[in-house]
Amino acid sequence: MRPALRHIVLTAGAVAIAATAAFAQSADTYPSAPIKLVLPLGAGGATDNLARISSGPVETKFGQPIVIENRPGAGGSLASAVVAQSEPNGQTLLFANFATHAVTPTLFTNLSYDPVKDFKPVTLIASQPHFVLVNPDLGINTLAELIDYAKKNPGKLNFASAGVGSPLHLAAEYFKIKAGVDLVHVPYKSSAPALLDLIAGRVQVFFDNVSTALPHVQAGKLKALAITSSKRSPLAPEIPTVAEAGLQDFETYGWWGVAAPAKTPPAVIAKLNAAYVEALKSPEVSTKLASQGYDVIASTPEEFEAYIGREIAKWAPVIKAANLSPTN
Amino acid sequence: MTELLDHLVFGLAVAVSPTNVFLCLAGCFLGTLIGVLPGIGSIATISMLLPLTYSLDPVGSLIMLAGIYYGAQYGGSTASILVNVPGEATAIITAIDGHQMARQGRAGAALGISAIGSFIAGTIATVFIAALAIPLTRVALEFGPADYFSLLLLGVLASALLNRGAVSKSIAMILLGMLLATVGMDLETAAPRLTLGYPQLMEQIPFAVLAMGAFGLAELGRSLETPENRDVISKQIGGLLPSLSELRQSVAPILRGTALGGLLGVLPGNGALLGPVASYGVEKHLAKEPQRFGRGAIEGVAGPESANNAAAQTSFIPLLTLGVPANAVMALMLGAMTMNGIVAGPQVIERSPEFFWGMIASMWIGNLMLLVINLPMIGIWVKLLKVPFRILMPSIVVFCAIGAYSMRNEPFDVALAGFFAIGGYVLIKLGFEPTPLLLGFVIGDMMEEKFRQALIMSRGSLAIFVEQPISAGLLAVTLALLSVLLLPRVRRKRDEVIVE
Repeated sequence: MRPALRHIVLTAGAVAIAATAAFAQSADTYPSAPIKLVLPLGAGGATDNLARISSGPVETKFGQPIVIENRPGAGGSLASAVVAQSEPNGQTLLFANFATHAVTPTLFTNLSYDPVKDFKPVTLIASQPHFVLVNPDLGINTLAELIDYAKKNPGKLNFASAGVGSPLHLAAEYFKIKAGVDLVHVPYKSSAPALLDLIAGRVQVFFDNVSTALPHVQAGKLKALAITSSKRSPLAPEIPTVAEAGLQDFETYGWWGVAAPAKTPPAVIAKLNAAYVEALKSPEVSTKLASQGYDVIASTPEEFEAYIGREIAKWAPVIKAANLSPTN
Repeated sequence: MTELLDHLVFGLAVAVSPTNVFLCLAGCFLGTLIGVLPGIGSIATISMLLPLTYSLDPVGSLIMLAGIYYGAQYGGSTASILVNVPGEATAIITAIDGHQMARQGRAGAALGISAIGSFIAGTIATVFIAALAIPLTRVALEFGPADYFSLLLLGVLASALLNRGAVSKSIAMILLGMLLATVGMDLETAAPRLTLGYPQLMEQIPFAVLAMGAFGLAELGRSLETPENRDVISKQIGGLLPSLSELRQSVAPILRGTALGGLLGVLPGNGALLGPVASYGVEKHLAKEPQRFGRGAIEGVAGPESANNAAAQTSFIPLLTLGVPANAVMALMLGAMTMNGIVAGPQVIERSPEFFWGMIASMWIGNLMLLVINLPMIGIWVKLLKVPFRILMPSIVVFCAIGAYSMRNEPFDVALAGFFAIGGYVLIKLGFEPTPLLLGFVIGDMMEEKFRQALIMSRGSLAIFVEQPISAGLLAVTLALLSVLLLPRVRRKRDEVIVE
């Protein structure tokens, strides 16, 4: 056999075997091996914890371990790239979040993958709203007062952010647009030093996760003017929603879900969705997540897909207005 | 005072339950073992072992995590001393004289003094926290970005001085380190800086990758070229414990290191790093023969190691009393507290007294455990140095590669460590020390953030650095130190002493 011909025959053979293997991975036998869930953030944090809690019952149901692989960095694009380029058989999944699917499509213009088209959403797991926090010494007691004060003193108040392009940053930028106020951005790399400077009064406004901020609010060190969701939180029912406090059409959430490579068979997606939804609706998981400040969602793949589309459209103008450079 | 004693006794009663003692022991032991592996610092260790604590009761799981934290800190120092690979920023200083001691066959003394110094520092810091945690919280709140910047500037100056070799070369290395720290997304605009188009560089260069490359692996390169040099490590090994005269030499450095580290550790962020730097600077300055520093001076291990451990303790203060984690390890512990239903923060003492005081008491028990585990283990560690170089060297390379990969599961980081190894080797050959490079990297990162925050808050006015009293005071100290150094006579003398 001439080398070229032999090459073709071998390749054809390999393709045939691979195809058989792919078909063998039908929805009936799925999952046939441990599932790899790639996280865009490091081990040990809140996201890692959320992924482990929500995947626990899925492991039990499938009888296969779900191995969490942490690949932090570059706004989640390192993790996304790995999953986008993996075999679409449901064995490799992405723990998608605000960064990978709401911000990256706008912020990163030169990626090795398409952050929207290369993925098939499985389910939106949960979201978490933010508190609009101010330093109590400011003497501001309601959201309306804050907007009023900021309008009368443009460029006087500082707002903190934790991580450029994070929900905590963009929520405040979105607030500037919606409320028509001018606040000065003081960037921090993480939430802890931002909270310290807020407590000390060096920055005056901060949008932080409900779970992180609640102890400080309860201790009276910080004042929560409103919660950025459509409903009040059961953890802090006394804090009004943004709409109740007078600012309409303004909601912000950090959110987390599961996504698979785009070409994953629909039957596998359906099976995964069913397993995650069942896990999230179990009392054990839902009470645990609710106690940590999450709103459990457990959506269908279609709902998640539509949600991602709305989020991209919502945040693109905010990212542009915040003067974030299109990167890489 | 009696109240303090009551609290400590109450805490001890919680902490010495058989389960909790066992958890503390297990944590310290696991932490030490994993901390010794190059590149796997306490953050990686805790996040790996975090699931182990899910099934435990809250106090027990936190005690175990704290044990892992101290253990990994101590293990990191062990790696610094034995193979010159500081796993964490706080162990950079230990590597300077600690590794020299190991090369001279005094690894046992270096490890011993490190354990003893850490224990003494830990004991003092525990009482310190119990007595002063609440008032010290104010200190953490008083420090704004401008004050941090000035403190870090003082840190830069100290880093330039603690190196052997010419000051100009140290400064060059600090600046190079600071330049490396700017790689990644801009803090404010997310613009990529110096990433050369690699998405893996969008975040920071991981500290451990730089440390393994420029320190450990580059050092191996140097050992390879001189056969007699590498045998020094494995030839003669002295006593397993520091001698009496060495102990006597170390008492004052340990106490001074404890004070410096304990105070600086209260500052959230990397206040913990500045403790060892300051301690080393002070010891070198006070020493009768400063030229011994960098050549295996035991004070250069005793002081910084005590400072390091005292800071590791006091960095719990902002976490326990403010609910604000001082560093990444604390953030993990805060996560564990939340998961276990303990609300960290201002009310923790009233709401969960058994947790608060039990935790503080367990700190001391943890330090005792470390001493108990590590003194006997020194013999084993020292034997490690007897492993022939032809086996030891590839093992270190393999462990470094695993460590570099495992931080983010990123093959790119292994290549990056290799790149820094070559770069570090070239620098060593040209007479540049890697220590100020690493310090510049760690300090520069924080300095840029704090500098920009301060200037944004002041709307661009540099006056903020002298208007804030703490910042002004620190700048004055920096200037005073600088002017003393620039006096030509003093400098000439210093250079003679150090360059030889």
